[in-house]
Amino acid sequence: MNRADRVDTGRRGGFVLALVVMMLFAISVAAATGYLVVNSEFDMARGADEGAEALAVARAGLHRFVAEQIGVVGDSVSYAVGGGVAMITTRKIASQDSITDLYYVRSEATVSSPFTPSSPARRVVGAYAWHHRRPLRHWAAAMITATAVYAQNSGGLIDGNDQNSALDCPGGNATDITGAIARTTTGQQSGGVLAGSPTGKQWSGGFAQMYDSVGLRWDVLSDPTFPVDFEGTPPSWASLPSDSFPVSRVNGYFNPGSSWNGRGVLIVNGELDAGSSWSWNGIVLAGSVDDIHEGTIRGMLIGGLDGTNPYSTVYWRGSIRYYSCYVYEANESLSYLELLSDTEFEIF
Amino acid sequence: MVARSAGFTLIETIIALVLSSIVIMLVSTTFLVQTQYYSAQTLRAQAHDNARTATERMAGELRSVMDEGFVVAGRRTLTVRSPVRLFAVCDVTSTNVYVHNEGGETGLYNAEIAGVAWLNQSTGDWDYRTATWAYMDGTTGTPAPSCAVSGADTTWATGEFHRVRRLGLLYGTFPIEGDILMLYRETTFKIQTSVLEPGTLGLFRGTYGQPLVELATGMDSTAQFQYRTGGTTYADTITSANLSSIDAVRFVADARKRAESGGQRDVTYGWSVNMVLRNVP
Repeated sequence: MNRADRVDTGRRGGFVLALVVMMLFAISVAAATGYLVVNSEFDMARGADEGAEALAVARAGLHRFVAEQIGVVGDSVSYAVGGGVAMITTRKIASQDSITDLYYVRSEATVSSPFTPSSPARRVVGAYAWHHRRPLRHWAAAMITATAVYAQNSGGLIDGNDQNSALDCPGGNATDITGAIARTTTGQQSGGVLAGSPTGKQWSGGFAQMYDSVGLRWDVLSDPTFPVDFEGTPPSWASLPSDSFPVSRVNGYFNPGSSWNGRGVLIVNGELDAGSSWSWNGIVLAGSVDDIHEGTIRGMLIGGLDGTNPYSTVYWRGSIRYYSCYVYEANESLSYLELLSDTEFEIF
Repeated sequence: MVARSAGFTLIETIIALVLSSIVIMLVSTTFLVQTQYYSAQTLRAQAHDNARTATERMAGELRSVMDEGFVVAGRRTLTVRSPVRLFAVCDVTSTNVYVHNEGGETGLYNAEIAGVAWLNQSTGDWDYRTATWAYMDGTTGTPAPSCAVSGADTTWATGEFHRVRRLGLLYGTFPIEGDILMLYRETTFKIQTSVLEPGTLGLFRGTYGQPLVELATGMDSTAQFQYRTGGTTYADTITSANLSSIDAVRFVADARKRAESGGQRDVTYGWSVNMVLRNVP
């Protein structure tokens, strides 16, 4: 390459460099502009989305807490809902009477994203709710939606007289209740005993009348997705305090023996067909009951909650006796919250 | 020979000038296009921002509107009563009504309070009475200890219990324990000619007894409120007899940003949002 060529090449290179720099500058301006606009839109949209999600999480957490609440109301609980966390806190506000309290339920939700880990979206909602304590009404030792219920002649016993004294527990020595309630007939065969005050009642209004009278949320309690203390297996009594009366549930046909002896609330989401070795202290709720029944219940039985009992006549060969203390304790485990409509509000 | 090749001829200079002019024109055009693009996007972002701001502020208040909370429901005017705070009555004596007040009085923005409402728990209806917070605020008494006697858990929350007075004068009777009261604000939203951005409509907001303040600008002429009274259809205007039937509000917040130069077109942004009232059955 001679000297002239080198000079010429150098001059062209300088001109092209200037052009390239200018074009790069233009492209940079365009890119920066586009980025700023898109980024600000993205930030706004993300903020709005996270705020809306946080509100939804707060509301979902509040409703889930109220719906799943059973027994004693806890002070706080947190739920992971969607992309956020709802922290629920409660506060008792007043006691309306001995079985109804007013609670304030507060749900604070936070939703954070990888873009804003230190400044999550936050929303708070609150509502008031009634806490219905011991909701089950004490109507009878055995209340079955069958046409007839009999204490059978081979030692069957149905007794609505309270077996507890005032010394046994604060609610002991309660008013005696009816022995058995059926749709049209209650009675005792020779050798069987039906006792109570009165011994029997007939509620010819049928299933609906009997169901409506007891104050149970059977559709909720019998739903397999509704959380209870023990599901499908008997509680490990050795690990539980002696004064605990947990809620246990069995789905489908159930033929309990001595391995299921225990206390608390037993929910049978199907047919209860107990063996003679079975005993339970507390409340037994069953979708239906077998026509010939054995076992021992110290407390109360309500059977046929799925509808009119499929067996029109139930012969009770075992023993049901009303123990108000067991019923009182078990009934406490069935306590639930009822949200006051029109009281849910957002706290700014 | 070397000196001649290092210089420029006239033709070379002219060609260089022409080429440079072409390049400069190209670059200038690129800059101009970028500037217009930036302006258009900025306008669009502002339009979006206006629409979103307006709807989010409105939605926050409308979501919580209780039953019987609508006062006016017109095409361009909407007046609602929404909760500032809910109270639960925890103790009542012959002279005092004590309530639970989430967050306590320090968190209460009482300048917006237009009155109090009392919930009929049997019917779900609210009974509204106009009163200022200063009229009802009872600064004395023993709210927390009294409510504790009635069963309230006041641990670490004594500031959340309060005395409310003059309910007897407002209603002619006293509430009982477990009753629910609501301090409400009465807010008017109005779509009218913008003050801040002439030529467009603005969304104005005003609380009870206060002047309207422009909340968002740049609404298009199609901006309006619509109302649902059950079913799925929305109507522009609701008669007073049907105010209690409103269960959702649609805010058609179409936005318009006027072009800043003759070479641009106005930017419009079609935006509407349905706000379902969660406390209305």
